[in-house]
Amino acid sequence: MKEIIRTESLGKYFGEMAAVHEVTLTLQEGLFTSVIGPNGAGKTTLINLLSGYILPDRGRIYFREKEITRLGPDKRVKIGISRSFQVMNIFPRMTVFQNILLPVLSRLNKTSSAFSSLKGQKEAVGEAEKILGEVWLQEEKDFPAGELSHGDQRLLELGIAVATNPQICFLDEPSSGMNPIERIKVLELVKKLASERKTTFIIVEHDMDIVFSLSDWIVVMNRGEVLAEGKPAEIRENQEVRDIYLGEEI
Amino acid sequence: MKTRVAILVLVILLALLPAIAGKYALYVTIHILLLSIFSLGFNLLFGYTGLLSFGQAGFYAVGAYGCGKILLAYPSLLVGIVGGVVIAGAVSLFLGILCIRHTRMYFSMLTLSFGMMIFSVAWKWRDVTGGDDGLVGIPRAPLEIPGFFKINMTPMENYYYVVLAFAILAIYLFHRIVHSPMGLAIQGIRDSETRAACIGISVRKYRLLSFTIAGLYAGLAGSLLPPLESTVTPPVAHWSYSAEPVLATLLGGIYTFSGPIVGSVLFYLLKDIIVRFTEYWLICLGIIVVVLVMGFRGGVMSIFLKEGGRR
Amino acid sequence: MPGSPFLMNEGKDMETLAFQGLIGLSVAMYLWLLAAGLTIVFGVLGVLNFAHGSLFMLGAYFAFTFYGLWGVNFWLAIVLSLLSVAVVGCFMERFFLRHIYHMDHAYQLLLTFGFILIFDDAVKMVWGGVAKIPAMPSFFEGTVSVVGRPFPVYNLFIIGAGLVVAIVVWLLFEKTWWGKMVRASASDREMASAIGINIPRLFTGVFALGAMLAALGGALGTPVRVVAPGIGAAMIIQAFIITVIGGLGNLKGAFVGAVIVGTLSAYGILLFPVFELFLIFLIMTVVLMVKPQGLFGG
Repeated sequence: MKEIIRTESLGKYFGEMAAVHEVTLTLQEGLFTSVIGPNGAGKTTLINLLSGYILPDRGRIYFREKEITRLGPDKRVKIGISRSFQVMNIFPRMTVFQNILLPVLSRLNKTSSAFSSLKGQKEAVGEAEKILGEVWLQEEKDFPAGELSHGDQRLLELGIAVATNPQICFLDEPSSGMNPIERIKVLELVKKLASERKTTFIIVEHDMDIVFSLSDWIVVMNRGEVLAEGKPAEIRENQEVRDIYLGEEI
Repeated sequence: MKTRVAILVLVILLALLPAIAGKYALYVTIHILLLSIFSLGFNLLFGYTGLLSFGQAGFYAVGAYGCGKILLAYPSLLVGIVGGVVIAGAVSLFLGILCIRHTRMYFSMLTLSFGMMIFSVAWKWRDVTGGDDGLVGIPRAPLEIPGFFKINMTPMENYYYVVLAFAILAIYLFHRIVHSPMGLAIQGIRDSETRAACIGISVRKYRLLSFTIAGLYAGLAGSLLPPLESTVTPPVAHWSYSAEPVLATLLGGIYTFSGPIVGSVLFYLLKDIIVRFTEYWLICLGIIVVVLVMGFRGGVMSIFLKEGGRR
Repeated sequence: MPGSPFLMNEGKDMETLAFQGLIGLSVAMYLWLLAAGLTIVFGVLGVLNFAHGSLFMLGAYFAFTFYGLWGVNFWLAIVLSLLSVAVVGCFMERFFLRHIYHMDHAYQLLLTFGFILIFDDAVKMVWGGVAKIPAMPSFFEGTVSVVGRPFPVYNLFIIGAGLVVAIVVWLLFEKTWWGKMVRASASDREMASAIGINIPRLFTGVFALGAMLAALGGALGTPVRVVAPGIGAAMIIQAFIITVIGGLGNLKGAFVGAVIVGTLSAYGILLFPVFELFLIFLIMTVVLMVKPQGLFGG
């Protein structure tokens, strides 16, 4: 297993509060990894740091041995990192199709062309159609994205995240805010994308069924630090982990 | 298909206008075309990129003064117009670099600031801009390419065709831009700058591009003014002048392609009507803006389109 | 400032600089009053009110009417002018701004921009477009000698008044119950509402306070400054620059920023007559590049 992302003593502080503290972590390529922990454990902050959304106060981040600690989010996407957001972050006034087309164009480095027509971008259009099919949204392709149902918006969100053909993709609570039916659909999609694409998925999740059924590796965080990491079976047996979840069925 | 026919009919009508209408109608139509160009640029920035600028009149003025000064020294229409546009573009690029890095709110206030700065320079720098007297005696220079042709611009109809040609070119280019990959990128930035960054788009770069293009359009509209009026005075840089493309676009429809153009026509119609009743034009402008913002944000074109349409 | 009647000899010696600095300080007080209201309204309501300068202008016009035209006692005229503008401000907030808080900020800016247009013409309609220059109240007439030059007594009054207002406003926000409620609402609207604070009414009150501060700036200026359409628009740019330099929402920053901009502007007129606005713009650009939240922002 090759390492894909590595952090060294990563730290992010808001005033006196440590959101993330002394996190030294290695994420392996191809291992579906879940990051779990109680609320406020620093999971989302960790994703934000790794995706470049915020910059760390301390520590370093490496992507395939190259340091990327202070690289901006748009540049990280160009090297193969991608993410989805817990709070829905799609392009509401653009159509569903355009929502997928844009990241594809970005990946193909076509966004600078001001005078060529969108329709003429055959390669991009074809790829966008394919991805739209992958996320089961072909029928809605001409709707303004803001008008989609909540569940469909989440599918679109995932589509945007994979449309840049990332090597590693962070999904921040993909099932949050979903009703039970939508949840199943979203998780089906995550499973499908994980098995069909050459992307390493790292998800932040609260739902333990999902975590334990999908993950190859689990990282447990608490109070901004990594408490434990390991294969699902090991984590299940880990006493410290059980303690912080205080008797929840895991 | 219907749209294309409508556009063709419109272009033909405009081309035939000098034959069927008098000088005054031509004069007003030229002004409508100038405001359309001005407003398209404004809307590229606002409706398509999400940046609200109250200082576009600054670039309009740079274009106008630039063209005027060139024509006073070297009376060749194309040189004057192109020169004005280029200078306006350069100034907008420079100011853009300073302003674009900020959040949208700051940006809007900054645009008001530099607009007033340009006004202040136009007003005080007597040596260069003529102060509050402005530039006078600007010739309606002939349209010429040395060695090929030289067309006299004194008849209003001739100049009308030049303006019409530039307007059609500007609208066509605008259409290409907003339907291009770059056009999609800036809309992405408008809808969610975070998401745009997280799919690899450099927010700063595209905002700057959009801002510069808006400046070029404002500069073009400004450059076409001096040959028409033969004078350029400081009010063209004032923030109340910046209000015109804002209102025209708001009136026509912010998130639409033709909104600025439709709005420009409506603007002049309204102005014509209002001015007959009162000299207090600004208060009417203000009331219209307030009414539009409070209750009619989609503008006139929203009547013709269901949610999400882009005509 | 265009038309400043206090630019004296061209000598650039120390005395002139000190004198000009004092002029700048008095100018700074007007700017502080304008910027304070702007920054308070932004800090608490999250609204950047373009028409704030128009409230300044209205303050000047009302004060001129009460004091200059109707001969009302100077102090009473100022109070009446403040109340009148407070009413205008409440009206603006209650019936217009309140309904667009939840929308894209662009609409706020557009709406308040519309108000600038309305107010500018409205004053022309009511008072005519000609500039007014009212008389100085008798107890402020005359000058005192500062570094050997005559310095108007009224300017000293302005400097004093500005400092007093700064202290009063600070006390209002730090020590009173109302001030505490406002600060709580500013940092967490939902929480404040949950503990029973009537947010809409509070917001109208804050807006009115901001309007009164702007009006005070305008009203205090009437004996010495021209009262004309557009005086607000000229100053709103500088007020904005001040709030940016000081940090949006930060009162201390607004005061310091006003002093900086006021004195710089006075020196600018002395040393670089045409481009003083550029100088201020430049300072703002530099501050924003180095510390985007402003000198005191966070």
